[in-house]
Amino acid sequence: MKNNSKKTNSMKRPFGGIVLDSSFRIIIPFTLVYGIYILTHGEYSPGGGFQAGALVAVGIVLVRLIQGADKDSFNVTGPLAIVCAGVGTFIYAATGWLTMIGGGKFLDYTYLPVPMHHWGELHALGILMIEVGVTVCVMMTIIDIMDAIIERLDDDTEEEVVCDE
Amino acid sequence: MSKGLATILMTVITVIFCMCTVLLPPIGDPNSAPNQHVTPYYIEHAKEDTGSPNIVTATLADYRGFDTLWETSVMFVSGLTACLILLNNTEVGDKILNKGKKGGKKREE
Amino acid sequence: MQILIIEAMLLLFLIFITVCILVSKDILACTIIYSAFSFCAVLTYFMFGSPDVAFTEAVIGTMSTIFFVAALKKVDRWCK
Repeated sequence: MKNNSKKTNSMKRPFGGIVLDSSFRIIIPFTLVYGIYILTHGEYSPGGGFQAGALVAVGIVLVRLIQGADKDSFNVTGPLAIVCAGVGTFIYAATGWLTMIGGGKFLDYTYLPVPMHHWGELHALGILMIEVGVTVCVMMTIIDIMDAIIERLDDDTEEEVVCDE
Repeated sequence: MSKGLATILMTVITVIFCMCTVLLPPIGDPNSAPNQHVTPYYIEHAKEDTGSPNIVTATLADYRGFDTLWETSVMFVSGLTACLILLNNTEVGDKILNKGKKGGKKREE
Repeated sequence: MQILIIEAMLLLFLIFITVCILVSKDILACTIIYSAFSFCAVLTYFMFGSPDVAFTEAVIGTMSTIFFVAALKKVDRWCK
């Protein structure tokens, strides 16, 4: 009887508690906005793509742990996260191909086919497009590793695995 | 016996490494060997070549953007590998690799 | 080669934490002490003048603690 019913995964249930339920709704929007701020100000102050990707991923992982895996918010699960990580790398490479279409070498930002006139602005736009690709890749990688680890905990039996003596 | 031998060996190797770090040049030295050829050019021309006051981001994303491309792809491939190994015998893994129901092509023969 | 007093304290504390992790027999306690190690590494990176590396290490330290605790649920907690 117990084998037929669906075994509950202890990390997929919501964590509970009224303090966490009401306080994460205030903290998480500020975390996500701060992550996007670090992404776009990456060329003016310390920051960049890797930091922004890690911050946004931590925000989403925290929501998933508190609310449980059944709610519909931030519903990016395992297979979709792997695909989106590849899309992030593709955005990075597509910037390089765009510069080759514009007439320069690979990843040479002065030849982007965008109607801007000053080459400083062209470099800033190229760096922003690259950092967006890196952010998406890092964020999706962290989310899909966490989903894979939680899926492994599905059979909640009492397995006694002892370390080597 | 072997645990004491391992401890002694680890201590000896740690002491040798710590003694060798004294021989390295100081951190901000402008006359050391790695700071001679490319680094002064990057520091002097980063603001006017790339238009960003942050030299770290200008080096990572503009001067060495090709290396960052492969670093990002290595991160993607490592995440993909870890995910596929961890989901080996689960339902989600079978859905990704299309095993089980949809792998019935070979069984129909 | 000049080294400040607070950098020396942080580095010595780092070595002490590593020895504590190696000696302990409770794997859950090792996980929590590892997050303290990550915090000391954040302060060390900040002392040496790179704030974005410190920022990334702080975030990744939190993530790795979550992963270790999740992976520890299937393994026996007390290792001999």
